[in-house]
Amino acid sequence: MALAGEDFCIVAADTRQSDGYHINCRYAPKAHQLSDKTVIGTSGFYADGLNFVKKIKQRMEWYFHQHDKTMSTTAIAQLISIMLYQKRFFPYYVFCVIGGIDENGKGCVYSYDSVGNAERVQYQAAGSGNELLQPFLDSQIGLKNRSNENETLNLTEEMAIKIVKDAFSSVTERDIHTGDCVEIYIIRKDGVECQKYPLKRD
Amino acid sequence: MEVLLGIQGKDFVLVASDALAITSIVAMKRNHNKTRKLNDNVLLMFSGEGGDSVQFCEFIQRNVQLNGIRRGYPLSTKAAANFTRVELAESLRSRHPYQVNLLIAGCDPDTGVPELYWMDYLASLKKLPFAVQGYGQYFCNSTMDRYYRPDMNLEEAKALMKKCINELKVRFIINFSDFVFQVVDKDGIKEIKLE
Amino acid sequence: MINLDFLNPAENNNVLEQEEANEYMENLSVPTFEIPLVHNPVEFLKHQTHAAEQCRLSIVHGTTTLAFKFKHGVIVCVDSRATSGTYIASQTVKKVIEINPYLLGTMAGGAADCSYWERELGRRCRLYELRNKERISVAAASKLLCNMVYAYKGMGLSMGTMVCGWDKKGPGLYYVDNDGTRLEGDLFSVGSGSTFAYGILDSGFKYDMTPEEAYDLGRRAIYHATFRDSASGGIVSCYHVKQDGWTLISRTNVKELHYKYQDEPKAPLV
Repeated sequence: MALAGEDFCIVAADTRQSDGYHINCRYAPKAHQLSDKTVIGTSGFYADGLNFVKKIKQRMEWYFHQHDKTMSTTAIAQLISIMLYQKRFFPYYVFCVIGGIDENGKGCVYSYDSVGNAERVQYQAAGSGNELLQPFLDSQIGLKNRSNENETLNLTEEMAIKIVKDAFSSVTERDIHTGDCVEIYIIRKDGVECQKYPLKRD
Repeated sequence: MEVLLGIQGKDFVLVASDALAITSIVAMKRNHNKTRKLNDNVLLMFSGEGGDSVQFCEFIQRNVQLNGIRRGYPLSTKAAANFTRVELAESLRSRHPYQVNLLIAGCDPDTGVPELYWMDYLASLKKLPFAVQGYGQYFCNSTMDRYYRPDMNLEEAKALMKKCINELKVRFIINFSDFVFQVVDKDGIKEIKLE
Repeated sequence: MINLDFLNPAENNNVLEQEEANEYMENLSVPTFEIPLVHNPVEFLKHQTHAAEQCRLSIVHGTTTLAFKFKHGVIVCVDSRATSGTYIASQTVKKVIEINPYLLGTMAGGAADCSYWERELGRRCRLYELRNKERISVAAASKLLCNMVYAYKGMGLSMGTMVCGWDKKGPGLYYVDNDGTRLEGDLFSVGSGSTFAYGILDSGFKYDMTPEEAYDLGRRAIYHATFRDSASGGIVSCYHVKQDGWTLISRTNVKELHYKYQDEPKAPLV
């Protein structure tokens, strides 16, 4: 999942890798840092996800050598959309979200389907737990259908991290594919920090 | 669910095409033109798979026109029909054949001899005195068999066409509401009203 | 191709230029797609994406969109819901694609298909403008889109779109779908809720409406479609295309419209 604040952004992903009822690995990172302003979270078919991230990193390096600057988050967002669509007839089985800081210093999140339909949002859950996670975020961050719906939520970093931890521990209760550990990437103006938070391992 | 009709008379061909454009159960449009002019005296009418039909007919139209420009005189109806048949037959053996059924109506500008050709998506071409394409075949062919004469004048052909259209209105489940009527004779192609 | 430039060192300084030119040519050429190396790629993709196959790869679907021409231009109204299966993937999709300041495209069917091809259309329209020093007509733009998707017919693209704009001939409205069908018309509605929208539009349409009446008709048609079609909902967006380009008229939550219309008396029949 990813969520954006005013001047920061959080991308978090659990580290369990499983196949049906079988857990293959308890530490298989699904969130990857792309630059000091952007982090990507992938879910779906793990091998496709790794390969896709590798290819994005390669394209970013080419961009860096060609233009002598790192790709901005919005540029990466469009690149991902096109790269996913290039495989329209043999899609990457990957549902990804990216989070980062845009050109104006604002936090931003982009969400995708497997063939590259992109949308800029404030928060997004993706993967096996998304049907459990997204309604929780709608309520806590989107303030959907609440009496204070029209107020703007002043989301601080502490609040956001608390919500992320709550979200993941709750999803771990009800989704068999989620658990073990959650990696929380916090993207700020001055760089990226990664925190690890253990989850139930059952 | 589309219907095309053609009647060859003494010195003209009278044709009609329904004007309905359908996607799934919705009538998107009721004034849709399903004909293309190949040159001044040859008219191509199409029905079939959306996209394929327009794409194929415009391809034929442009090539017949190009042929006319290169040679300096227009292609005859027979030549245009056979050219179309060859193109469709070649496409039939490709990976994505055009799914399109056609009527080709023409009239020689010098001799005034009218011609009407019928062709289906399998590229079988037949010159006929009267022809129907689509479900209309089940309703109109018998009517035409009963009343058709090769020496009909325009008024008689119109009357026969009216009988056919009327039969479709009474018995066919689709309400076409509008048909486009055109006459091809040695002066060219013009749209007419049946009344 | 084998590069034999090293055999002729005198021309070496051209290599970079040549490479650059090639690169530009590549950027202007038609995009290419990878095809799975299986016997029947179309069936393979269907197997991966079809709802019946336990929805292994879901692609976002479900919509109501409409557009109509009237005295003061073209009105475009859309909902904002995206569903994959029975799950609502998003309630905030932008289904009107702003191709450029005087052309709009709508999105129904596969969201990625629509947004990708209409972005590609935008690029080609811009190239046309630069080459011909004039704006592309709506007819030509819609034909470009139609030809692009026709090339992929039968491969599983899903797209039902309306291209709306204003050119020398006045307001333009074309319907283009993934079969390669392209229709010119005065009033269209596309998507799973389109029949419900038609019910409102056809009964309430008058050519010489005021713009305000037209906005209300469009919004109402979408509202009623969201009421009956569970794959439509969210926010109703309304655009107006005029001679000097399009403007966004409103974005209204369906909830607000519901409470607004609820208190109004039903329209008189006679």
